[in-house]
Amino acid sequence: MPDQPLVPFQNPLETLSHLGITVPAGSTLTVLLAFVFAVWLIYTLVATYHWLKYSHASLLAFPAIFVHLAVSVALMSYALTGNFIPSV
Amino acid sequence: MKEFELEPGEHVVKEARKHWFIFLLQLLPFAILALLPLALPRLLEMFNQPLWSTVNWGGDGVIRLLLATWWLFIWTAAWLTFTRYFLNLWVVTNFRIVDIHQKGFFRREVSSLLLNRVQDITVDTEGILVSLLDIGDINVQSAGAVDRFSMRGIPHPAQMRDIILKYVSTKPSGDTLGA
Repeated sequence: MPDQPLVPFQNPLETLSHLGITVPAGSTLTVLLAFVFAVWLIYTLVATYHWLKYSHASLLAFPAIFVHLAVSVALMSYALTGNFIPSV
Repeated sequence: MKEFELEPGEHVVKEARKHWFIFLLQLLPFAILALLPLALPRLLEMFNQPLWSTVNWGGDGVIRLLLATWWLFIWTAAWLTFTRYFLNLWVVTNFRIVDIHQKGFFRREVSSLLLNRVQDITVDTEGILVSLLDIGDINVQSAGAVDRFSMRGIPHPAQMRDIILKYVSTKPSGDTLGA
């Protein structure tokens, strides 16, 4: 039987520190967020280009882009603040 | 339309995309993947894995960040799927059938089949649900270099076939548009 209480969910960075690898948590999260945002931005721009370029999609282009941006902003807000609606 | 220019005297008769049910089926994997992080702790709890049952998905900052990031990826992928679904289109004009196929981003194919080259049209519907929703494939046999032209998963295929046949029967033979 282990004599230490169980940790419900251990931060992966703490797990790495047990292996002798020290990663500063703040910079890792910043890099992760920057990477996620870059990927999201590239795909959003590419899809938006296609929506706007092809005229047969034009009727739905702006609502589709707006919904995508709104949901994305809500998810980003939830990631950073815990609220789906960003506070101004 | 930018994808192709209508010839003098040519007009669009009908436009068709794949049936919405097929689009919903394409979204199903994304829905499962989105719900997976929420369902996983409960599933593991059923198999007596107490560590996972104590994970607070909404409260812990890092967990919340990972969860929202996962959802953002899935949402973006689902939206890209919708984009591709919407950009794929079949257009029937009084002269031809145009297949606008978005194979991928920056990969687009627009092909036309003149109605005066159409030799045979078959409608293929298979399955109970597909029959109930009136979804089917249309295969158009032509005399040209591209001998088969397929529209897959379109709504009301019989109606579409009738429309094509109506304009095929009124088209005089000839190789050029408007001939």
